[in-house]
Amino acid sequence: MTSAVPAQAHSLRRRLLVSVMAAILIGSLFQGVSAYRSALAQADTLFDYHLQQMANSLLGGPALPPVRLEQTRNDSAGYVIQIWSSDGTHVFQSSHVVLPPRAVLGFDDVTQNGTRYRVFSVQTPVQTIQIAQNMDDRLARARSLAAQAVLPMALVAPLLMLVLWWIISRSMAPLERTRQQVAARAADDLTALPESGLPEEVLPLVQEINLLFGRLHESFDAQRAFVANAAHELRSPLTALKLQAQSLARSSGDPQAQQVAVTRLNQGVDRAIALMQQLLLLARQESTDTEHGGLQRIDLHNLSRQVVDEAMAQAQANGITLTCEGDAPVWIDGHADNLAILLRNLIENAVKYTPRNGRVIVGVMEQDGGARVAVEDSGPGIAQNEREHMFERFVRGAAQPATGSGLGLSIARAIALRQGANLRLVESSRLGGLRADVAFAAPTSK
Amino acid sequence: MRLLLVEDDTMIGEAVLDILRAEHFAVDWVRDGTMADTTLQSETYDLVLLDLGLPRLDGIDVLRRLRARRNATPVLIVTARDAVQARIAGLDAGADDYVLKPYDLNELLARIRALIRRSQGQADSVRELHGLRLNPITREAVRLAHDGQGDESITLSAREWAVLEVLMARPGAVYSRSQLEDKLYGWKDEVSSNAVEVFIHGLRKKLGSTVIETVRGLGYMIPVP
Repeated sequence: MTSAVPAQAHSLRRRLLVSVMAAILIGSLFQGVSAYRSALAQADTLFDYHLQQMANSLLGGPALPPVRLEQTRNDSAGYVIQIWSSDGTHVFQSSHVVLPPRAVLGFDDVTQNGTRYRVFSVQTPVQTIQIAQNMDDRLARARSLAAQAVLPMALVAPLLMLVLWWIISRSMAPLERTRQQVAARAADDLTALPESGLPEEVLPLVQEINLLFGRLHESFDAQRAFVANAAHELRSPLTALKLQAQSLARSSGDPQAQQVAVTRLNQGVDRAIALMQQLLLLARQESTDTEHGGLQRIDLHNLSRQVVDEAMAQAQANGITLTCEGDAPVWIDGHADNLAILLRNLIENAVKYTPRNGRVIVGVMEQDGGARVAVEDSGPGIAQNEREHMFERFVRGAAQPATGSGLGLSIARAIALRQGANLRLVESSRLGGLRADVAFAAPTSK
Repeated sequence: MRLLLVEDDTMIGEAVLDILRAEHFAVDWVRDGTMADTTLQSETYDLVLLDLGLPRLDGIDVLRRLRARRNATPVLIVTARDAVQARIAGLDAGADDYVLKPYDLNELLARIRALIRRSQGQADSVRELHGLRLNPITREAVRLAHDGQGDESITLSAREWAVLEVLMARPGAVYSRSQLEDKLYGWKDEVSSNAVEVFIHGLRKKLGSTVIETVRGLGYMIPVP
């Protein structure tokens, strides 16, 4: 949106205008010169032809008597006609200019008194006719003829330039319009640019820009929704904390009530911490692009066993039997840290939502060249039409344990997607509760 | 005074419940919109504390249904939805007040008292009746001096206060024993059969026998001054 144009940038319009104008100028100049020259040459031929025709027409006439006629009339065409009789007597002279009789018949150039003449001589048995034309005269006439030939072009060229300048400027107008529309928008305005009336050269660019705007818009919206949700979700644990602190203050007289209040306050703090950690995890998942590169070979079975070990204490505290099935290493390509978070979220969810004396089984197996991890529990499960809903942020299951952030499954799915894995919630056929299924594609590296 | 607490968050619900009970409100707690709607159809409350983001049925819908039944019970929305639009929607749907989470406990209690007072048509929280001045905020009862002697402060138990508050809210109205029990106890409270009689007896002893009258066969009332 800055108006500063980099030094190497060029204006299409200016470049087009300059080159088209230069082309017209050079073309017109070249054409003008060549037209001028060819007009001159044509005039020359024409005048020569005139001389010849005049001489021939005189030739056909009767032989003039040997009278010397002085004609003072100055021929405008600058012609000098001289006739000699067969004996060499000068019988006719059309002008005061007297040119010497030429020995050569046909065309010749003569210079007399600094003036050049074009001379044509023809001879019959009775007389010799010589017609001459002043070359300055001829040149002046030829030039005026040539100039007339060039004149229309000299008039048309500027007109043409004007018309082309107008056409080019008009053709570039949609670009300029689009530029102004982009320049005039607010920083957060990501609505599509109008695509109507754009030429096909500009349209794809604007369409691409609009697609980009669309993607940005979606990602901004997602971000905005996340921040709004996060702000909303933060209020609940904070409200609980505040209430718990206030009821602790009120219970100062009663040791038993005080004990309850302190326990609840601690639970509230744990809940706020858990939410904070999940939010940070999610933010990290969203901000780091781990889709490309950085993959390690990981033994999924070993990793699952580690996570199960971590969750064992909580499971025992809840009176739940937590086991890990499978013994052979199952190799996949992935990020150990992220996968551990994924498995931890699934296993902790299962432990959290399964009632006392329930079972949670984590199974790791190879499948279709890839791998599969299944976390099954004997808990209440989730209705089929609500399962997909569970992946949305800040959605908690109906059982509502106090410490749920509503983010665990969102994070798990985000990680699964980045790993190219597929996370689904189905019903556990053997335990009757929920079964979280993560299917990994076959490893690509050896 | 009997309140309905509609709150899906366990921690908040537990804390609010304890605090309200410590303030001698009879409180019932439901955790989802459908339960709230069902409860409000069968029970009568002096005030509803309503969260908006509820499972199964949104708080706004619970409120709309309540008002559609021409039920004028005061409703105080307690929510984390802080957008101005949400507040407007809540008040327009028929809420009497709107408190944002996280809130201060004392402010919440003050708003609850204000709403109950307003629903009883009273502007001032301190009431004077039959030579007594009763302050529900400080839970202080004072016999006013009328013969040159100083004012006499009277100490009442929490339950006695609760009974007195109910009766004082509408002088002249008769409350049966079971009506008074409803106002005094939540679902889970154990109610002994003659509890109300015991409190009435205590009140008469402390305030004088003429303050509360027995309407034979019907119940109790404070006569219109």
